[in-house]
Amino acid sequence: MIFAELDASALLALALPLGVALAAIGSAMGLGKAVSTALESMGRQPEAAGAIQTAMIIGCAFIEALTIYALLTVFVLMGRIS
Amino acid sequence: MWDWIHVYMWENVFFSLVVAVLVILLVNWMKPSEDVTQVPNRKQSMLELIVEKLNEMVVGVIGTQGKKYTPFVGSLFMYIWCMNMIGLIPGMKAATSYIGITLGLAVATFLYVQYVGLRENGVAGYFHHLAGSPQDGVGWLMSPLMFPLHVLGELIKPVSLALRLFGNVMGEDALIGVFAVLGVVLLSTITGGPTSLESMMGLKAMTTAQMASWQWFGIPLQLPIMMLALLTGTIQALVFALLSTIYIFLMLPHDHHDDGHGLEAHH
Repeated sequence: MIFAELDASALLALALPLGVALAAIGSAMGLGKAVSTALESMGRQPEAAGAIQTAMIIGCAFIEALTIYALLTVFVLMGRIS
Repeated sequence: MWDWIHVYMWENVFFSLVVAVLVILLVNWMKPSEDVTQVPNRKQSMLELIVEKLNEMVVGVIGTQGKKYTPFVGSLFMYIWCMNMIGLIPGMKAATSYIGITLGLAVATFLYVQYVGLRENGVAGYFHHLAGSPQDGVGWLMSPLMFPLHVLGELIKPVSLALRLFGNVMGEDALIGVFAVLGVVLLSTITGGPTSLESMMGLKAMTTAQMASWQWFGIPLQLPIMMLALLTGTIQALVFALLSTIYIFLMLPHDHHDDGHGLEAHH
């Protein structure tokens, strides 16, 4: 039975990559929506491209900060896999 | 639990000082001559271009009165950008891949933002601002709720700044490292030489011939990732500087409207 072998280390080794992957999926969906909307509005209003780009970069930074938090959590917990 | 954070931290501190000295020397070398009648040379034009773009960014967020914050934000950007880029030079390390360095920069930003808030609003205005700028009875009723919320927000801002920069740079560096090792493993797997995976992992003792093998050069799989690091390093330096600008902007008094160049004209 394979489940008898599952201790805390094995569970962490399974869960950590999945955690980063889930965070990356959510972040990718958010970034895709943010960037596509920003590009669309830049196409509609090229004279406001500078302001839109600034706001987009700030928004993107906040969105991908969540993935970075997940990555940091994984790096902290990676030390527990023995 | 936090052991992984302290590994090789002296390298980051060393390279952060090296970069600081390099940036100061470089800017002093590029700065315009005293004689303003001379035609600007190439160095001066380059420096003026950088300063002009950074000033444009700060003025675009804060408005025309934001010009006096360009020195702080601009030097923050140039310092962080150079610290990110120095990691791509072989034998050197990105200084921002240690949280002590990024947290130091974030704390400097935090202190500067509080100083600007106290200077521009006055002491009473500063606490009025932290209480959510109450104007009417409802606002004053809500202020005991808003005050701890704003204080907490001010304290979380530097932590999020530091963690974002540190996580991005360290993640990128870890990726470059993994791909470099992958290149070595791939080459020795293809050519079937003495540099086997077991000896690389330390599972099998290496002979002198194995240690001197040409296969340690590997396939440079990390080069595309390093090109990506050029991009993300620039973006992260820009994000740090831009968010610092916005934190300064949020701390400024909102009652006086300028000629409509700042973000406050849009809402």
